[in-house]
Amino acid sequence: MAAADANNEPLLVVEDYEVGFRTERGLARAVDKVSFELDRGETLGIVGESGSGKSVLNRGIMGLVSSNRMIEDGSVLFDGGQMVNRNRQEFWGAKIGMIFQDPMTSLNPVMKIGKQIFEPLRQHLGLDKGEAETRAIELLTQVGIPEPARRIKQYPHELSGGMRQRVMIAIALAAEPEMLIADEPTTALDVTVQKYILDLLRQLQLDRGMAMTLITHDLGVARGRTDNVMVMYGGRVMEHAPTDTIFAEMRHPYTEALLASVPSLKHAKHTRLTPIPGAPPDIVNPPPGCRFSPRCKYAQPKCTEQAPELNEGEHRYACFYPVGTDASAEALEKNMAQGHTATGLKIGLAPAKAAG
Amino acid sequence: MMILLLIAVSMLTFAAMSFLGDPLFNILGPVAGDTENPENLAKIEAAKEQYYLDKPLPERYARWAGDFVTGDFGVQFSTDGQPPVSGLLKERLPRTLQLMLMAQFLALAIAIPWGVVTASRANGVVDRASTFTSFMFVSLPNFALAVILFYIFALKLDWLPDTYHATDPFWGLTHRHRLVQLVLPAFTLALPGASVYQRLLRTDLITTLQEDFILMARAKGVPKWRVLFRHALRPSMFSVITIFGINAGALIGGALVVEIYFRIPGVGTAIVEAVLREDFPVVLALVMVIATAFVVLNFIVDVFYTFLDPRVRR
Ligand SMILES: Nc1ncnc2c1ncn2[C@@H]1O[C@H](COP(=O)(O)OP(=O)(O)O)[C@@H](O)[C@H]1O
Ligand code: SF4
Ligand SMILES: [Mg+2]
Repeated sequence: MAAADANNEPLLVVEDYEVGFRTERGLARAVDKVSFELDRGETLGIVGESGSGKSVLNRGIMGLVSSNRMIEDGSVLFDGGQMVNRNRQEFWGAKIGMIFQDPMTSLNPVMKIGKQIFEPLRQHLGLDKGEAETRAIELLTQVGIPEPARRIKQYPHELSGGMRQRVMIAIALAAEPEMLIADEPTTALDVTVQKYILDLLRQLQLDRGMAMTLITHDLGVARGRTDNVMVMYGGRVMEHAPTDTIFAEMRHPYTEALLASVPSLKHAKHTRLTPIPGAPPDIVNPPPGCRFSPRCKYAQPKCTEQAPELNEGEHRYACFYPVGTDASAEALEKNMAQGHTATGLKIGLAPAKAAG
Repeated sequence: MMILLLIAVSMLTFAAMSFLGDPLFNILGPVAGDTENPENLAKIEAAKEQYYLDKPLPERYARWAGDFVTGDFGVQFSTDGQPPVSGLLKERLPRTLQLMLMAQFLALAIAIPWGVVTASRANGVVDRASTFTSFMFVSLPNFALAVILFYIFALKLDWLPDTYHATDPFWGLTHRHRLVQLVLPAFTLALPGASVYQRLLRTDLITTLQEDFILMARAKGVPKWRVLFRHALRPSMFSVITIFGINAGALIGGALVVEIYFRIPGVGTAIVEAVLREDFPVVLALVMVIATAFVVLNFIVDVFYTFLDPRVRR
C-alpha cells in the first residue's frame, strides 16, 4: 500500500537544501536553500556557469562530498527517506548512479574495464564471476560498445574518450539505479562525440524509466534531452521550468544571458556569442540583493536592496523584472538611456564590458 | 648500463684497495719485509707470481675480472688461501640474504597497512602520532634501535631469542630456529625502511585519493576498504617501489651494524673483517656481489613498474 502511494510521489524532494564549506574567509555557501522535485522517470537539466553549485548540489544529495569542512542543512527525501546528515553509502551505485565529466580520469587506469564493471554487479546484485561477465557484456552492448567481450579485457587507456564515457555509463547503470546523476558527461569530449553520448543517455533513461539529473554549463545540451531545466547561479535556483518553456519564454535575465553566451551544439559556428560580463559571485560574501545584479543589464535599485524570491508553480523564477514583461522592457530602456545599470554595469550600443 | 655500473664499481674498489697497502704483508705476514733471507725471498716471489702482484695494475685488474666472470673469486689473502673466497661467500651470503629478505618483507608488511590507515585519515590523531613515530625510527641510528629492541623484546619480555646460532636449523618457530633468531635483527633493519616507505606511500595515497576514479569507485558503491586497497594502493606504489630498490643498498650498510651487534656471521661481518685485514680479494668479491644484487634488484623494480601500470607496457 505504502509502495503504491510512494510511486505517485516524486522520487526526490529537495527542500531548502544547503551545503556550505568552512573556509578561512567564512562559510562558502555553495548550495543556498535549493528546493526542487524530481519525478520518477524525469530528466532534469541543471544548468549554470562553472562554480554555480551544480556538482556540489548533486554530490551533496548523494552524500559524496569528500570534505570534512562541509556542512549541510535542509531536507532531501529520496523515496520518502531523509538523506541529509546521514551516511548514504547504501545508495551509492545501488539506488543512485553517477557519471562524471572526464572519462579519461574517472576510470581506474590500472584496472581492466571488465573488473570495473563487475564490481557494482557483484557488490549490489550479488552476481558470481560468470554471471557478472555475461551481464557486463550485455551492458556494454547496450551502451553501444562494439566487441564487448574483447573490451572487458582491456585497460581504459586502450579506449577512446567516447568509448570510455560509454563504459562509465555502463558502470553507473550496472545495478539498475532509480536515479542517475550525469555531471557534465560530455564536457571533456570531442564535439562530434558529445551528441551521441547525450542521446544515448536520454535513450537509456527513457528505456529504464530512471530519473536523471543532467548537469551542464551549456543550456543547448538540455534542449530536446530533458523534461525540465533548472538554472543555478551562485548556489541558488534562478529559474526552473519545463524545457520547452525555458526555451520559448525564459523569464530570468541570467537564463537569457546564459543562452547567448554558450555556443550551442547545433549551430556552433554561426551564432554570435555574447559573453556574460563580470564574474560569478563570491559565495562567501555574495552581493546584496539579487546575486546576479552586478552582471544583469536590467538591474534596478530594488535589485540591490532585496533578493527576489522564487515564485511557486510550474514555471519558477526569481527576478523582479522578468524577461519578456513590460517591467523588464522599461528597466532596460532606463538603463540604456543612462548608459549603465543600477550596479554601475556599463551598457549601451557598444559591446557591453564588465565594470570593475 | 647496468654492466657499466658494475665495471665502474669494480674498478674503483680495485684501485682503492691497491693503494691501501702492500698485499704481500697480508698474505705472508712479517716475512714479506724480509728480502735478505733467500728462503723468504722465494716465498715472496712465489706469492707475487701466484697473485700477479708483479704485474701492473691494469693487467691485474684484467686478470681478476676474467677470473671473476667465470666464478673464480680468487683466494683469501689472510687465511693462506683456504677456503677460497667463493667458499666464504657460499657460507656467509645466504645468512645476509635471509636477513635482508626478511627485513624488506617486514618493512613492506608494516608500511602498507600503516600508510593506508594514515592516508585514509590524513591529519587525524593516528596520522599525527604516526608522523612522530616514523621520524623517530628514521632518525634513530641502527645500533641504538638494535639495543632498544634487544633490551625490550629479548631481555625484558623474552619473546625473541637473544642470540644467533649459525648451526641451528632455519625453518621452525622456536628460539632454536634461525627464522625466529632473525626476527629481531630484521626488525631493526626494517623499521627505518618501513617508516620511509610509509611516508612515501601516505603522500602518494593522499594524492591518489583525490583522483576522479576514486570518487567514481565510491559512487558505484565499492566499500571503503576495497577502495583503499584495490583502487588506490596500486597506483600509489611507484615511489615506494623505487625507494625499495635503492634502499636495498642502504640496508647493506645497516646489515653491517646489525650483523655485528646480533653476532650474525654474514656478509656484513665478513666485509668488516676483510677491510680490517686488508684482505683484498674478499673485499672486492663482497663489494661485487652486493653491487650485482643491487643492480639486479633495481632491474626487477623496473619490471615491476610495468606490472603496476599497464600504460607503461609497450
Ligand atoms: N571541497 C570544497 N571546499 C570548498 N569549496 C568547495 C568545495 N567543493 C566546491 N566548492 C565550491 O563550491 C562552489 C560550487 O562548486 P561546484 O558545485 O563544483 O560548481 P559547478 O559544478 O556548478 O561548476 C564553487 O565556488 C567551489 O569553489
Ligand atoms: S532584473 Fe534584478 S532581480 Fe532580475 S536578475 Fe536582474 S538584477 Fe536580478
Ligand atoms: Mg561541476
